Amino acid sequence: MADMILQCFYAFCATVAFGVVFNIRGRALVIAGIGGALGWGFYIGLANLMGNDVIRYFIATLAVALYSELMARKFKAPTTIYLAAALIPLVPGGGIYYTMENFIKGNIDQALATGLHTLAIAGAIAMGIIIVSSSIRIWLDIRREIRKSRL
Amino acid sequence: MTPANLITAAMEIGDLLLENGAEIYRVEESMRRICKAYGVDNAEIFAVPTTIIITIRIGEESPITLTKRIYSRGTDLYKVELLNSLCREMCATIPPYNEIKKRIERIRRFPPYSLPKQMLAFSCVAFFFTLLFKGTFYDAIAGFFISALVKVVFNALEHIKTNAFFENIICGAIIALGTLFFVKIGFAQNIDKIIIGTIMPLVPGLAITNSMRDIIAGDLLAGVTKTTEAMLIGVGIAAGAAIPLSFVHFFLGA
Repeated sequence: MADMILQCFYAFCATVAFGVVFNIRGRALVIAGIGGALGWGFYIGLANLMGNDVIRYFIATLAVALYSELMARKFKAPTTIYLAAALIPLVPGGGIYYTMENFIKGNIDQALATGLHTLAIAGAIAMGIIIVSSSIRIWLDIRREIRKSRL
Repeated sequence: MTPANLITAAMEIGDLLLENGAEIYRVEESMRRICKAYGVDNAEIFAVPTTIIITIRIGEESPITLTKRIYSRGTDLYKVELLNSLCREMCATIPPYNEIKKRIERIRRFPPYSLPKQMLAFSCVAFFFTLLFKGTFYDAIAGFFISALVKVVFNALEHIKTNAFFENIICGAIIALGTLFFVKIGFAQNIDKIIIGTIMPLVPGLAITNSMRDIIAGDLLAGVTKTTEAMLIGVGIAAGAAIPLSFVHFFLGA
């Protein structure tokens, strides 16, 4: 448990630092940082429940994307400024590295397996963003229609 | 506001949004809303990552078109945030052209974080990611210093206007060389953890996020362009890091 909190703290700091790379300022930095910690928390917190890490990446992305959309509505700011930084801890940098390492060591089979796994993670993250953003759009449209029909 | 002023102001805002990392639909939507707020309902706007075109027509007058070619794109999300609120304000209060012009100019001139701060940010990203991926404290320190160097080289390469693929190959190579150095002198232990942590600041996070958001908004062209950009950067970093590493495997058989 203590290890998990420490890891979330690292994810928070890393995301805030990445926010500076994206020139985010002020309150948005902290909001993005919390999003980064949240995503990583979901990713490692679910490790005991499910062994398949692609699914865990997917669920963590859903959490981060939903959080970013809600914060964007709350503070009337573009979703991207929170989402782009908060997703960074989930980006499979390790997958890219181990694919490359297997290639240069000549383990082509393992390199291909790792590469496909990395692509699957990237796909899971993409699906997570797509599902949340599309749902939010549909929900906003429905809400607008309901308000119109009341008038 | 004259029609010419209106499309100039809308174009300036769209241009700045696109240059600083907004999604395509945000660029188009913001420009459309501005035109609508100032009483022009039939504005046609087309944006791709390298060009914006806007055409408006008022009554029976001949249409006016403005085209802008976008050459450089960076990431300054604070400007996107400021422009977004400026856009909301314009739609709500309809300020006159002179005031808008001043506001846009102020946003354009707003400086990004200074180089030392950016170096520190790069270093902190590497430091914390190395720790996050279970590297030791000394691994993280090594990542910290390598990243600061990477930021300097990255800026220098951007300054001489090479392409993104080449920049990332060079940076990947520096990361691998730096890591090998720190491990060989016995300061740090885990080559893999340091490299993974140190490539994180180079990860194209904005391209990944925006490409997906563009695709669901129906801007397939921009979505595919940015997905390709993200993949190219990823491959570039990996290929760059592979060069020094494969020599090590070759000579030392490790």
